[in-house]
Amino acid sequence: MGSSHSMSEEIQELAEKTGFTSEQIEHLHRRFKQLSGDQPTIRKEHFDNIPDLEFNPIRSKIVHAFFDKRNLRQESDGLADEINFEDFLTIMSYFRPIEMNMDEERLDHFRKEKLKFLFHMYDSDHDGKITLQEYRNVVEELLSGNPHLEKESARSIADGAMMEAASICVGQMEPDQVYEGITFEDFLKMWQGIDIETKMHVRFLNMETIAQCH
Amino acid sequence: MVPYLVAAWILVASLAKIVFQLSRKVTSVVPESCLLILLGLGLGGIVLAIAKKAEYQLEPNMFFFFLLPPIVLDSGYFMPSRLFFDNIGAILTYAVIGTLWNSFTTGVSLWGMQQAGLMDKGVEAGLMDFLLFGSLISAVDPVAVLAVFEEVHVNETLFIIVFGESLLNDAVTVVLYKVFNSFVEMGPAHVQVTDYVKGVASFFLVSLGGTAIGLLFAFLLALITRFTKRVRIIEPLFVFLIAYIAYLTAEMVSLSSILAVTFCGICCKKYVEANISRKSRTTVKYTMKTLASSSETIIFMFLGISAVDTSKWAWDTALVLGTLLFILLFRAVGVVLQTWVLNHFRLIPLDRIDQVVMSYGGLRGAVAFALVILLDRDKVKAKDYFVATTIVVVFFTVIVQGLTIKPLVKWLKVKRSDHHKPTLNEELHEHAFDHILAAVEDVVGHHGYHYWRDKWEQFDKKYLSQLLMRKSAYRIKDEIWDVYYKLNIRDAISFVDQGGHVLSAAKLTLPSMPSRTSVSESSVTNLLRESGSGARLDLQVIDTVRCRRDKEDAVMHHVLRGSLYKPRRRYKASYSRHFISPDKQERQDKEIFQQNMKRRLETFKSTKHNICSSKSKARLKKDVRKKKKNDALNSELPNGKPHRSVTWQETAPVTMMVNSEEEESDSSETEKEDDEGIVFVARATDEILQGKKTSSTGCPSHWGSLDICPSPCIIPPSPTLAEKELPWKGDQDSLAVYISSETTKIVPVDMKKAWNQSISSLESIASPTGVETGPHGKKLASPVLEEEPQSASPTMPEQRTCFQFPNHVAKSGRSQSDSSPESIEQQELQPLMVPEDHTRMSPSAGPSNSRWLIQFNRPTRL
Repeated sequence: MGSSHSMSEEIQELAEKTGFTSEQIEHLHRRFKQLSGDQPTIRKEHFDNIPDLEFNPIRSKIVHAFFDKRNLRQESDGLADEINFEDFLTIMSYFRPIEMNMDEERLDHFRKEKLKFLFHMYDSDHDGKITLQEYRNVVEELLSGNPHLEKESARSIADGAMMEAASICVGQMEPDQVYEGITFEDFLKMWQGIDIETKMHVRFLNMETIAQCH
Repeated sequence: MVPYLVAAWILVASLAKIVFQLSRKVTSVVPESCLLILLGLGLGGIVLAIAKKAEYQLEPNMFFFFLLPPIVLDSGYFMPSRLFFDNIGAILTYAVIGTLWNSFTTGVSLWGMQQAGLMDKGVEAGLMDFLLFGSLISAVDPVAVLAVFEEVHVNETLFIIVFGESLLNDAVTVVLYKVFNSFVEMGPAHVQVTDYVKGVASFFLVSLGGTAIGLLFAFLLALITRFTKRVRIIEPLFVFLIAYIAYLTAEMVSLSSILAVTFCGICCKKYVEANISRKSRTTVKYTMKTLASSSETIIFMFLGISAVDTSKWAWDTALVLGTLLFILLFRAVGVVLQTWVLNHFRLIPLDRIDQVVMSYGGLRGAVAFALVILLDRDKVKAKDYFVATTIVVVFFTVIVQGLTIKPLVKWLKVKRSDHHKPTLNEELHEHAFDHILAAVEDVVGHHGYHYWRDKWEQFDKKYLSQLLMRKSAYRIKDEIWDVYYKLNIRDAISFVDQGGHVLSAAKLTLPSMPSRTSVSESSVTNLLRESGSGARLDLQVIDTVRCRRDKEDAVMHHVLRGSLYKPRRRYKASYSRHFISPDKQERQDKEIFQQNMKRRLETFKSTKHNICSSKSKARLKKDVRKKKKNDALNSELPNGKPHRSVTWQETAPVTMMVNSEEEESDSSETEKEDDEGIVFVARATDEILQGKKTSSTGCPSHWGSLDICPSPCIIPPSPTLAEKELPWKGDQDSLAVYISSETTKIVPVDMKKAWNQSISSLESIASPTGVETGPHGKKLASPVLEEEPQSASPTMPEQRTCFQFPNHVAKSGRSQSDSSPESIEQQELQPLMVPEDHTRMSPSAGPSNSRWLIQFNRPTRL
């Protein structure tokens, strides 16, 4: 533990950046090491080692999101090959619960961040729009857990949802108007009235025991 | 005499409800439960004045065996289970610890008051008596809470916590009540340590046992409803019966009956709803609500009436005031303390305002009253005092707190529940959320709530659902799909509601109205535009203006249909105790559903290009499914007759059809009502027959032609079978839209092609309803084109197109969406033009006369 001093400083820094407590960061770091096999970075393959993730229907989308540079608060676009612990924390910080003492502005920002994460997950081609095709992909994956729903019905559901989105965001459209896809502004509009901040969060405490027994 | 009285009381109570609801002003301020109690007081007073003695009161037996179960079942069954389990930790805490805290503190404090000499000497009670009283008075009452909170509309979390607590604290109440009651009966001196241990043990036994019984019966119920396909009519009965048996079983072995029914309701719902038919679902819902609501009414009214019976009263001001003070105070303290602890664990903390509402919403009700009446006067000497106090407490909480909670909620600006309709996107995102969160927990390695929920869902999907749901049901049982389906239905209904008038008006504006022509043209152009690049409508088609004569004919058809259509229906009336024949409404629903999709798509021009091709395939799947059996034949045989014979001689195809039909209906309607047993088969046969015929002429499947009607005068020169079928119509091959005979689905023509494309995926069957509800509008154009090469005689597409659109447009300006109703009507119209006798002659017309398919078939035989 020669590096313990610099480590704690680092943790302090990370805590400020991501809003996690140093305790949480330590937990996450342990988990990170576990996942990466003591490597400094995590690659996509490492996620294959998580057995519980296997059955997740939108697994690929989620794993993808971890490597999406847009989510990593980097200015560049595209996909990262590997992420280091800080990136890992950044991704995790999207799932932090709201804090009681947040003011309106920060709350709004927080909310937007969460939504952006979600948006990026849907917008797989990084063009700032969730096109119908992208939406369909998501829905198909979502429903892939149900072997009795065909792709076709997933599609029609996606189409229906897209229609709904169009009607929410644009309202009555002219006959020849074309709705290209859901932009982030539209996405925000759709989420109005839904408390994403009360839903999109994970408890990051108390994971010590489980993390160790893996 | 007794049954008569019961009926009379229920009638009075129900009438009272009507009267209350007459005045919106009153009911918006005063909760109904208050009014009912006051009414009960009034009625009791009258009875007292006349009979000189109080005749009626709330009998504990009646309450526990007949009045309470429906309410609990209702609340369990319609409990938003997701919300409930999301907050189960908080609910359990409040229900168990909160109730324990309340009863002990209240009991001890009252005892302290008595020891301090603040109470009347008449109150002969020891610590045990007060603890007993504390246990029965401290439990929040589900009936009262529901009655008041339903009108307040606080946010969901708050509601579920208070309400869930009121349901789950029953176990605690029952145990405490029983334990203390036995202590009191034994006499405090004889109570030993083992008795306390027993008391604690019995708590676990009672609560877990009650829950287990509930789960057991929920399982049983789900399993039973899996096999009720042939006895649809008694499906709803099972739900009530088994839930009630669960209640009685729990009661019999002295476990918590409320818990049993609650969990039975919560857990069976998913499977039962999937298994039973839609009609049964409605029946269950309404019966449950009716029973619960009337029980509640009677309970509150009888509470009022019982209060008049002063012979049971013994008033002690100190006791009454003390109890009121303590229950309010300790409830508040308890809530604050528990919330403080809970907030350390909750991700969304309960704020101070929530806590105020929770404390204030702790209403006491009929359960407390029934329990206090049940006390044995010989053993519990202070019973009369307790009764009086309980009545006051109940009245105070229900009336005073019930009255003030609404203003309080407003004043505190409690987050209200926003009753926005569920949207498809929301549902999708929420599902995505569940998976994302579970995934993140996996990644983090934290086995938290989402992790276990995910695990449970996998287990449910793999085993439980397979076991407890019908094949046809679980196939399509999916929340997303459910929302999708519901949304469509809702939209469709609202659409039809709006469109109804326009439609009739359109019918009235009769022959050769110039406007019509123009509208029709514009609609066609609209169509063209909308279908964008995908639309390859013949220009000729668009530009051709139908001759006036045709138009008038078409209009005439509508008029005729309008006036002649109904009588036909009526003559189908029949009675059967065991089967409910599909009624018009039901068919309408289906129609609307189809139409609606069209409309939705219409508003959704944007993505049309993409949708078009893929969608059509999806929609066609079903047809394809049906069709596949016949296909080989169809393609080989150019003309209809061979097919026909095949159909009739071969039994195998027929049965196949039945199957597919069943599947389809199941999937499409989440169980289309198949109450009609045999008729069903017959109908399927018809379909086949018809399908063959139509297909024989090049039309890909059995779908009836839709646009049929333009003008009877136009009969193609070469009378092919198809032409025989629809004399006034060119041929169906070129039709843009088809109506399926049994559900009137509008499907684009392009079946053949689509079928070819998707033949590989034929195996995957149940494509749910939504599938066929695609962008028909868009489809209209392209299918035609693709179909044309194959069509035997692409006679007069122009007519068809022209014909189709005018009507729709005239109706609501939406060109495509409206085409469906019109066409449906037209379809119905056909038979009218054909002598009835012919129908009779056709073998297919047998049992399913009421079905349109037959009507469809008739012309064929001409």
